[in-house]
Amino acid sequence: MRQTVSASPHITSNNSTRKIMTDVLIALVPCIVCATVFYGYHVIINLVTCLIFCFVTELLYSLIKSKNRNKDGVKSSSVKDLSFAVTAVILALNLPSVMTVSAWNITAYNAKGGVAFSFDTVVLCALGSIVSIALVKMLFGGIGKNFANPACTGRIFLFIAFGGAGAFATVSSLFESGATTGATWLGTRDLVTGNDLLNMFLGNTGTAAVGETCVIAVLVGYVYLSARKVIDARYPLITVGSVMFFAMLFDVVPSGHKGTAFFYDMLAHALSGGVMFGAVFMATDYSTSPNTFVGNAIFSIGVGLITALIRAFGSFPEGFSFALLIMNLTVPLIDKYIAPKPFGYVKPIKEKKEKKEKKRKQPIAETAAVKEAGNE
Amino acid sequence: MKKFTFKKGIRVPHNKITCGSPLTECPAPSTVYIPLAQHIGKPAVCCVSVGDKVKAGTIVGRADGFVSANVFSSVSGTVKAVERRKTPNGACAHVVIENDFRYETESLPKLANIDKDVLIERIAAAGIVGMGGAGFPASVKYSPKKSVDTFILNAAECEPYITCDHRLLLEQTECVLKGAAYLAAALGLDSFKIGIEDNKLDAVERINAIAAEKGMRAEVILLESRYPQGAEKQLIYAVTRRKVPRGGLPADVGVAVGNVHTAYAVCDAVVNGTPLYRRAMTVAGAVERPSNIWVRTGSKLSDCLEFCGGAKADCVKTLAGGPMMGTALDHTDYAVTKTTGALLLLDKKHVETSQPQPCINCGKCARACPMNLMPMYIDAYTLAENYGEAKRYGALDCIECGCCAFTCPAKRTIVQSVKVAKRKIKELGL
Repeated sequence: MRQTVSASPHITSNNSTRKIMTDVLIALVPCIVCATVFYGYHVIINLVTCLIFCFVTELLYSLIKSKNRNKDGVKSSSVKDLSFAVTAVILALNLPSVMTVSAWNITAYNAKGGVAFSFDTVVLCALGSIVSIALVKMLFGGIGKNFANPACTGRIFLFIAFGGAGAFATVSSLFESGATTGATWLGTRDLVTGNDLLNMFLGNTGTAAVGETCVIAVLVGYVYLSARKVIDARYPLITVGSVMFFAMLFDVVPSGHKGTAFFYDMLAHALSGGVMFGAVFMATDYSTSPNTFVGNAIFSIGVGLITALIRAFGSFPEGFSFALLIMNLTVPLIDKYIAPKPFGYVKPIKEKKEKKEKKRKQPIAETAAVKEAGNE
Repeated sequence: MKKFTFKKGIRVPHNKITCGSPLTECPAPSTVYIPLAQHIGKPAVCCVSVGDKVKAGTIVGRADGFVSANVFSSVSGTVKAVERRKTPNGACAHVVIENDFRYETESLPKLANIDKDVLIERIAAAGIVGMGGAGFPASVKYSPKKSVDTFILNAAECEPYITCDHRLLLEQTECVLKGAAYLAAALGLDSFKIGIEDNKLDAVERINAIAAEKGMRAEVILLESRYPQGAEKQLIYAVTRRKVPRGGLPADVGVAVGNVHTAYAVCDAVVNGTPLYRRAMTVAGAVERPSNIWVRTGSKLSDCLEFCGGAKADCVKTLAGGPMMGTALDHTDYAVTKTTGALLLLDKKHVETSQPQPCINCGKCARACPMNLMPMYIDAYTLAENYGEAKRYGALDCIECGCCAFTCPAKRTIVQSVKVAKRKIKELGL
């Protein structure tokens, strides 16, 4: 009878990386459905493009890196953990449904003048996927080692590189009357009415990214992820809360709005743009967020602060993804300095204090000091 | 009743299938191999020679120095040899005794009056060690240098599968409580607390009934069934809210902890004068008849296994101890010692055999660690051979309970890394 010998523990929970990623994908389903309902089949085309390119990039990369370029290589490749799919879906949901680069002129229009098939969108999706997976994730060592959120970085790359060519123009959802929606609330900062807020909540508004449209769908995902304990339910609340708080300080108070408009403005800041979607699905990304509660709270507040700063003073109407990327850089530092104190940690008594105490009270019984420390 | 617990930790499947099976005597084999190192500290010195006649309870190894314990023969018969044999953690001298199946016994003299010093002396003479698994000589443990105001009987038994302490509490309630009272008396106390998990409510009832009947000052503290509730520092925190300082002993916060089986052994030694040569053990998992047995030290694990019907065909892992902290064995030819609380066989379904995957930084290990460490960084720095940094993240504070590795979705062998780190830190003198 052959017996396996290994170090303890000998049993583990039935949790796995793949299961966690599957949970995230399930949580993203409501957002995908809503985006498709609001923006039509373009969302599905983008999604499939991103999935294919993320998969192929990761597989190719691990095959090139691995010694055995055969079936075993494919089997041992990291695509099995499905993290590529999470990146792909989040990236697709972070992009507009149609991104037309006017200079390329490769978009097919239908008889009514609407977009039938936009080949440039497909190209941009593929580019974004390759940057996300190859540059941000795999080059830094694969899953868990990347310092920046892959989907977020991929989106920013496309936004910076092609935004000027009109690719990131706001798109109106299918239900909105007329094609001339123009900018979102973040672009105009009109006076908010209760009806506007309701529209933002339901997703009946133009956005620059399809996934963040419907807040209800995001909330469904949030509840699912929290219930499955994939994410800590407190972190998104801190992020959204701090966006509202700092937006109030930098934007709402200077605007001089009073009474209900004051609160409507604050709510509009939370409901518009990518705050909700990002707080639930992107700021909670394991590898690019701190590992302790205090560290994560600092991280979330930082994201809120920078988002509000960009919205109030920056040159872009929306700043969540930039804020996230900037705060991603602080994660290693946060984790280095905010480590929890081990159980039974006794503060080393500083020498200076000791001398002072000695002057005041003659000899302190050592056992008493230890006992006190243990009793707290 | 209010339940207490420590902070963090995990929930593990209990799998205490043997909790209903009474302790049965496992017959001793024709030859027993009694290890002279059944405890932490110096091995005992052999005090018999080949050809000597011994009885069950005859001393065969004398404690060598302060931190050591006496070792006794578990059967009557003839000493065949004194030879070096393998143990799960290395090798030590074993006294080989041929059993004559007459089971003549030899007892320690009856005690006239019972006081503190006499009790400690008797605990030392009977070779009693901490029977929860560590095997620290009890006479040393219960004569601490600092004064102690609380004695806690550790009846948490938080490891999955293991039920021998539970059975002892049910079947030998009075003896266990008496033993605990003796241990408390040895520490100069007249009362004690019992920390017990809420999955053993029948035992709680028995304890309360017997304690009331005999007028013992025993207070039952009900604990949440959460792993590792029975770890010394965690138990002390759950019961008394005191934190044992880093690198300190329970006595630093005025507490002493004793295991259920240790208490039973103390009672047996004080009342009947029986030295420690037999113990209760759980045989569970992939065996034909999972059961709780009384086994004599020096029997081979394979004898116990045979008594329980043998291993099932799909068994892939054999453990001495529980699934969270037990030692994996390559075969069952090892001798039962004073600290072998369980023989556990695991089949393919229950054992984790997949290869570790990259850490995804989910922080589940840090959320589970009862010592409040960051296991993912200890693991990462150990693999990078940066042991100084591993120490900074608390590698030396780790109690190796296995919560981190249990909860890890990437199945990383974190405890293994910590063990390496501890060893390397010691070696390099960091």
